[in-house]
Amino acid sequence: MYKVNLLTRDGATIAFDAEPEETLLAAAERANIYPPSSCRQGGCGVCRVTAVSGDITLDAYSEAALSESARAAGETLLCCAHAQSDVTLHAPYDQQAVAFAPEPVRRATLVALEPAGASAMRLQLQYQDDPEHGRAAQFLAGQFAELELPGAGVKRAYSIASTPNWDGALEFLVRLQPQGAFSTYLRERAAPGDELIVHGPKGQFTLDDASLAPRWFVCGGTGLAPALSMLRQMAEFADARACRLFFGVNRVEEVFARDAIDALQAALPQLSVTLCVWKPESDWRGFTGTPAEAMAQALAGTTEQPDIYVCGPPALIDAVTRAAAGGAGRVFCEQFAPA
Amino acid sequence: MFCYQCEQTYRSEEGAGCASAKGMCGKDAATADLQDILLHVCEGIGQYLTRARALSATDAEADRFILFAFFTTLTNVNFNAAKFVQLIQEAAQIRDRARALYEKAARDAAKLPETLHGPAAFVPAADMNGLLAQAGEAAVRKDAAILGDDVVGLRALVLYGLKGVCAYAHHARVLGEERDAIYAAVEHALDLLARNPKELGPLLDEALALGHANFAAMEALDAANTGAFGMPEPTNVRVTPIKGKAILVSGHDMKDLHAILEATKGTGVNVYTHGELLPAHSYPKLKAYPHLAGNYGGAWQDQQKEFAEFPGPIVMTSNCLIEPQPRYRGRIFTAGPVGWAGVRHIADEDFSQVVQAALALPGFTADAEEKRITVGFGRAAVLGVADKVIDAVKSGAIRHFFMIGGCDGAAPGRNYYSDFADATPDDTVILTLGCGKYRFNKHDFGTVGGLPRLLDMGQCNDAYSALVVATKLSEAFGVGVNELPLSLIVSWFEQKAAAVLLTLLALGVRNVRLGPTLPAFLTPALVDVLVGKFGVLPVGEAQADIDAALARAA
Repeated sequence: MYKVNLLTRDGATIAFDAEPEETLLAAAERANIYPPSSCRQGGCGVCRVTAVSGDITLDAYSEAALSESARAAGETLLCCAHAQSDVTLHAPYDQQAVAFAPEPVRRATLVALEPAGASAMRLQLQYQDDPEHGRAAQFLAGQFAELELPGAGVKRAYSIASTPNWDGALEFLVRLQPQGAFSTYLRERAAPGDELIVHGPKGQFTLDDASLAPRWFVCGGTGLAPALSMLRQMAEFADARACRLFFGVNRVEEVFARDAIDALQAALPQLSVTLCVWKPESDWRGFTGTPAEAMAQALAGTTEQPDIYVCGPPALIDAVTRAAAGGAGRVFCEQFAPA
Repeated sequence: MFCYQCEQTYRSEEGAGCASAKGMCGKDAATADLQDILLHVCEGIGQYLTRARALSATDAEADRFILFAFFTTLTNVNFNAAKFVQLIQEAAQIRDRARALYEKAARDAAKLPETLHGPAAFVPAADMNGLLAQAGEAAVRKDAAILGDDVVGLRALVLYGLKGVCAYAHHARVLGEERDAIYAAVEHALDLLARNPKELGPLLDEALALGHANFAAMEALDAANTGAFGMPEPTNVRVTPIKGKAILVSGHDMKDLHAILEATKGTGVNVYTHGELLPAHSYPKLKAYPHLAGNYGGAWQDQQKEFAEFPGPIVMTSNCLIEPQPRYRGRIFTAGPVGWAGVRHIADEDFSQVVQAALALPGFTADAEEKRITVGFGRAAVLGVADKVIDAVKSGAIRHFFMIGGCDGAAPGRNYYSDFADATPDDTVILTLGCGKYRFNKHDFGTVGGLPRLLDMGQCNDAYSALVVATKLSEAFGVGVNELPLSLIVSWFEQKAAAVLLTLLALGVRNVRLGPTLPAFLTPALVDVLVGKFGVLPVGEAQADIDAALARAA
């Protein structure tokens, strides 16, 4: 049995014991400690942390979840790692991202769905009341959940676009994949009244409340969802800190959620919004290019060192990370690859 | 950051004080620095208001702001740096208004207004980074290298005592009780601090003046609470949950609790008190609400475990907030002066969202085994049986009273108070108030002379009640308070306790045993002054301290 210390971003230490034959994730859960995780088989990267001391061996995992360079830098996956000595790990999230009870699994009813631009759908779900959780939708703005179609063996992770609430309402923005099982369900069969199973909330992509820096949100496509959640929460809490939103899509007809963004601008007067279209075919008056490019231009014109929350395709995250390299700001992202 | 205002302050061989990125209470360096700046600007308001007052011009709104602003800086109240930026800007505007008030009053009196310096002339920066760069000007120990620790420590005693006065006075004010004498004393203390006093004598005088002001503040708070909700009466309180939807209300604010009881009327939601709101059950107008179901949990330092297990929303009405943990962060609400970044705050006393949360969360799914304790022995209840008490003392049935009161905390050594209570002889009575009592208030102490041996007098905010009882007993026995068979065993944690201590000293109460450790801002020389002038004693070993108290009284 080895000692494992998981040090969180906000300075907390979470300790548990691990047997060499069990994964660090399993060992933590045996102690009723539930760090962020998703696929549990080395495919998604949600449980990525950095080992700062101790010996670890790894089961097989996907390169998309843990690149060679990341592994060389000490990063590891809790779901695949085994302690071979006492171990100290650094987590890229605060203690509040760690749960101390098993992940909720709840039933929800699909109450509405509608197109969101040319290639996405907006879903509204309603939690069903249950004795263990009541009907409240409790999560941290920016987190995601896995939606499961009962009996179909289909489970997909999507960020929550709404804010925590007492009505049990959940909003998701789902990018439609040509052959995707969940996308096919949405396109062909989904109807209000359907029952879905919600696993979660999950993830550590949440606001750093302790930080005093301005907040910049850089989003591509349905990566807008967690930013909407976080900005909506800022509006609800009358948070006066400076904030910017860079939101981009590939083509003009893919632009969506304008009503939601307009509502945010009304609720957060300090919010500055840059809509970006990478390849506009028509008379586009907004920014032409990617949101990463728009953000890089903005960074070049300011002395601010913002907290940058980025969500979207891996290429966007890479571009934003490169643009912010050298201390222009701290970058927060969900290190998530579809499993 | 430098802060040593509370009992949990970091202590090492190099000295005492929280000076790292985060204090022992969880307050980060930026918030601590911003709090110092806010108080600095408030000193500037005091400079103008005290001069305006001398010319018969006052600004009650400015005084009210000062109470609120100071309250936000108490230990475990507000950890939201952004809130302090806003309060500093507001303070600067109020100071400008106070300046105009003073200058007009001077002109009306055909006098030339003084040009004031120091905090009166301090220009706070417009943004967070600018303000943080100014923090050195407002730091608590900014003159320590020149003036030495004794002067700085006594300044701190005045500043922290003032915080306590402001907190009590704010509680009273929200219920409509204000005393102009308190405002005058607050302004005077601010003006003194703004002048960077260098002599111990005037600072000690100011500390005692604040002790008197605090007595007035506690009297106002007592009048506020009893005026609004009736005189506390002995009441049996359930301390285990019952099945159903539930809200937990913590802190000290009876008005907020009342608003929550009103908001939940007829909803089927039960309301539980936590920590220092336990005494609420003894107020007739509060206990008349049948859904004020009971008390849940213990003292403030246990909240992270207890709040996590509570199956409904939690409202934190005043001081004692610890960093909200993930398991309840989404269902905790702050109110009034309390705050935490990223936690829902109710600024307008509209608790409808809390009711919504209670209805949406599971609540208790079953009744727990019924257990009860008795509270509500305020001054009216105790003095209502004064004849019985006096007879019991005269007949020898009651040998001594131990007032074991004050705050609880997590530091080692606080089991002294439960050890002390448990070791008190059977022919003695324990009076208690504050949350330190959670260490022993569920113990069975039996009865003496027809009275329960343990009499719970209420919150730390009810210290006035204890002083009234002591005064009335001393009148009945024809002796001074110090000659009564009464010993005060005080546990301090934060700045309200500092204010109560100043009140005890100002009223001439001697031989107070203070613990579990002495305040870090009191240097050995200052402790010597308190010991020499007022007989203040550190706590020792429980049985030995009991023996010493009984021997002194014999």
